[in-house]
Amino acid sequence: METYSSGPLLELNKAIPSFEESGLPPLPFSMKLMPGDCVVVEVRDAARATMFADICSGLVPLDGGNVSFMGLDWTQMKDRALNALRGRIGRITRRASWPEFVPTHIAIMLQQLHHTTRPQDDLLQEAARLAEWFGLPGLPTLSPALLSDTDLCRAACVRAFLGRPHLLLLEDPLEGGPQELANPFLGAITEARDRGAGVIWLVRGNAVWQRYRQGITASWRLADDGLAAVRMA
Amino acid sequence: MRRVLLHLMLPFFLTVLAVVAIAWVGYTSYRTTQAGVSRLTHELLEAVQLNIGQEVADYIMPAVTGNQVASGMIAHAPVQVQDRVFYAYASTVLREAPQLQSFYLADEQGSFMLVTRGTQKGLLDRVRLVSKGTSRVFHHELYDEHDTKVKEWDADAKDYDPRTRPWYADTNGVNGIKWTQPFLFPDDGQFVMTSSVRFKGGDGHTLVFAANISLNQLSAYLEKIKIGNSGSAMIVDSKGRIMAGRNLTQQARAAGWNPDKMVINPKDEPVFSLGYDHYRVRGFGPHNVTTNGQHYITMASALPRYSEGWVLLIAVPAQDFASFGRQSSRQSLQFAGIIVVFSIFVGGLFIRQVRRTERGTRQLATQQAQITLESAAVRQVAMAPQLFDPSVEPLVLTTQLARVTQARRASLWRFLHDGAAMVCEESYDLTQDIHTGGFEMGGPELAKFFAAINEGAPFTVGTAAADERTAAFERLVMREIGTRTLAVYPVSGPKGVLGMIALEDPTLLPHLQYFLDLTTNIAGTRFAAQQVLEQHAAQAPAGQAPDRPPPAALAPVLTDNMLMHVPELETLQGASIYSSVAVLVITFSDPVVEGEQEVTALITLINQLAMDVQAIAAEEQLFAVEVAGHRMICMAGCTAAPDPGALSRVADAALRMRETFMAALAAADLEPVFTMGIDYGTAFGGAVGQSPKVFNLWGQTVSLAELMAEGASDPGVIQVTERVYAALRDRYLFRSRGAFFAPHLGLGRAYTLAARR
Repeated sequence: METYSSGPLLELNKAIPSFEESGLPPLPFSMKLMPGDCVVVEVRDAARATMFADICSGLVPLDGGNVSFMGLDWTQMKDRALNALRGRIGRITRRASWPEFVPTHIAIMLQQLHHTTRPQDDLLQEAARLAEWFGLPGLPTLSPALLSDTDLCRAACVRAFLGRPHLLLLEDPLEGGPQELANPFLGAITEARDRGAGVIWLVRGNAVWQRYRQGITASWRLADDGLAAVRMA
Repeated sequence: MRRVLLHLMLPFFLTVLAVVAIAWVGYTSYRTTQAGVSRLTHELLEAVQLNIGQEVADYIMPAVTGNQVASGMIAHAPVQVQDRVFYAYASTVLREAPQLQSFYLADEQGSFMLVTRGTQKGLLDRVRLVSKGTSRVFHHELYDEHDTKVKEWDADAKDYDPRTRPWYADTNGVNGIKWTQPFLFPDDGQFVMTSSVRFKGGDGHTLVFAANISLNQLSAYLEKIKIGNSGSAMIVDSKGRIMAGRNLTQQARAAGWNPDKMVINPKDEPVFSLGYDHYRVRGFGPHNVTTNGQHYITMASALPRYSEGWVLLIAVPAQDFASFGRQSSRQSLQFAGIIVVFSIFVGGLFIRQVRRTERGTRQLATQQAQITLESAAVRQVAMAPQLFDPSVEPLVLTTQLARVTQARRASLWRFLHDGAAMVCEESYDLTQDIHTGGFEMGGPELAKFFAAINEGAPFTVGTAAADERTAAFERLVMREIGTRTLAVYPVSGPKGVLGMIALEDPTLLPHLQYFLDLTTNIAGTRFAAQQVLEQHAAQAPAGQAPDRPPPAALAPVLTDNMLMHVPELETLQGASIYSSVAVLVITFSDPVVEGEQEVTALITLINQLAMDVQAIAAEEQLFAVEVAGHRMICMAGCTAAPDPGALSRVADAALRMRETFMAALAAADLEPVFTMGIDYGTAFGGAVGQSPKVFNLWGQTVSLAELMAEGASDPGVIQVTERVYAALRDRYLFRSRGAFFAPHLGLGRAYTLAARR
């Protein structure tokens, strides 16, 4: 993966999300994420956090402003470019996102198989390595419905970090997830940042990320009055 | 709540509304009918009153007009024929007008003529007052219908003088008709009044013509006419004396034949008495009176002017007319009642229908849920890899069987030794979510149970302990978890029954039969395949396993990385392959310590744990325990000959160590920071290095045990491989975690060791 170094990785420029589509307050959101940055966004409402990640991924229509990823405005691109660009985003979401019709290992690789042209064997190797990294005995091959919640949480981490993404939109897996996931998760974030990825870590409270506060670039809060920067003590 | 409101309260409310509406309509109809009946009653009474008035007028008219006609005729007739005119007129009128009794004619000189009815019917008695000598007599002449004289005689008139009689004297100075007071004839009960008129004859004499009219006929008429059902009428004069009415004779007798005393008696005629009082106070017209709790309508009206101020009183019980209204109301009420009952019935039917529909909807929803569950189960079974491979545990079959039938436990049993025993291939406990298997049952006590299975037909026993077929199975298998009901589905293969599916405490529904048939057939295919495999294994030549060279004499080994080892380790030399090594890897996560005090405490804790491990390993006769950083590797079975008890010793050691670690960490107020992994299989081992020489064990078994420990689902968990599960499942409880793929190891299942059985 080449490191993107020509400006902000992700830029929200007075982006006003459509209230009808997202339920977010129709206020201008402005934020810049540079390569290697790790930004914590505190959002109390899980559904709202998912919507914010959708905005960053260019999935929510805007009433004004724009959202650019790697210097490209989401609204100005055609499908092929959109798909290729979204292949560079890794996400952990609390929205139900596991297909029931394929085994978990396929579900993990589905995003990369869809958005990129990487060979399946490569993906399999990388996924298996990440699975072990995140505390699984291997790549789960059962249906996602048969996995326990903690294993599904680990599988979600595997899926997010698979393909060495440029942008990571992570709805916090630690709260409610297995405690021993913390080290691999923070390790994976650090590793991703080291290679130039930007991380947006969507948390519910500030207790979760205190262990990693030295590594946090900026802290924001998303509430009814919009997106506001929070001074880090 | 909303459903109750919609399905019960609404129909009830509508029914009540309908009932109230019907009752209101009924009441309104009743009121309208009542008002109409009242109006009709008054109109009817007025008509009756007019009718009676007309009748009275007709009754009296002959007397009044007759007097005028007769007086005119007699006045204008020549004197010589005056008596003949009188007789002719009187005879004619008496024959035609039954109410008239007699006619008088007298003059101021005392002459007197009378025509009256004879004692026999059809005969008329003409009487004339004549002088015979010194006495005056009445000369009677009796004439028949043909005006033929049939008899004549004289009767003494004594001192009779017509000029002194009231009918003559009262006309003095009166111009027109003059009525006398009524008087009674006790001998024939006649109640008679006389109307008289004074006029001048052709010879200048003053004449008085009088007519007697009987009121008995009028009373008979009043008795005869029908007013309502039991109404009656009465005529009284201006002084309240009864002129005509019911039971006139009796009243006359009661009054001592004195007309002046024939007034309305409140005791005998309370209604007329009240009606008369109302008339006197309020005048003519209809009045409502009540006596003895009964309502009456009375009406007072004036009779023709020549009737001397007579008043007609009519009294009718109100109910005679209201009965029509009451009957109409009763009918309305009956109709309303029928409609109300019908409405309630229809409302009840509606509620019943709604409840049935609701029940049907619930049943449909339940069935839909069951179908969804079944479809999901079938999909899971269909998706299961290597479903028909007998070497792979049929976990999905028992799991889905238990879920679909809601059985406490579902197990798959296969016949062994030509049907003399059965082995549990797989068993799934739904409440504990645990898979087990591997245990056997057999013996003569199970003969009846096996015979029942071999019949090939499924059967269900409500109380397994009470049925002789299943009593032994209940004691051996079911009593352990306290299940009662047993459903047995024999599994048939190409050559008869191969085994059975046993469901304990299931909820069996008819349509589940399809799913049960499906799983039974899958199990049959698996069992048949298993038989073929066993036959092949039996036919293969024995002793194919390569003979391993006996271990050479080994040099002493330094064991300074060992927490514990068996004495034989000292004599080990070189490397060797061990075919059945059990490896337990324990990993600890790195603790966060701040300050020297904490470090000291931690080292004390680690030391205690190490000593515990040593003790447990020695007790469980493990081969060695190796320490490497934050890992411990416990091993057993590193012997040339396979050690069948090695794995179970390691498993026991793992369980005991886990308990010990948990207790020690909890006492130190620490979270469980360790995980454990066990594998079982071939491993390489040997003493390596020069000085010091150390014993080391490596190979896939060790890697897998490490992987199991690293990838355990939660802290404090013992994760094992499929090989460990297959070897121990009949003695330990396991929970499946799922199937996983590792590039260098392939596809495998991971289990969590929970406890000893």
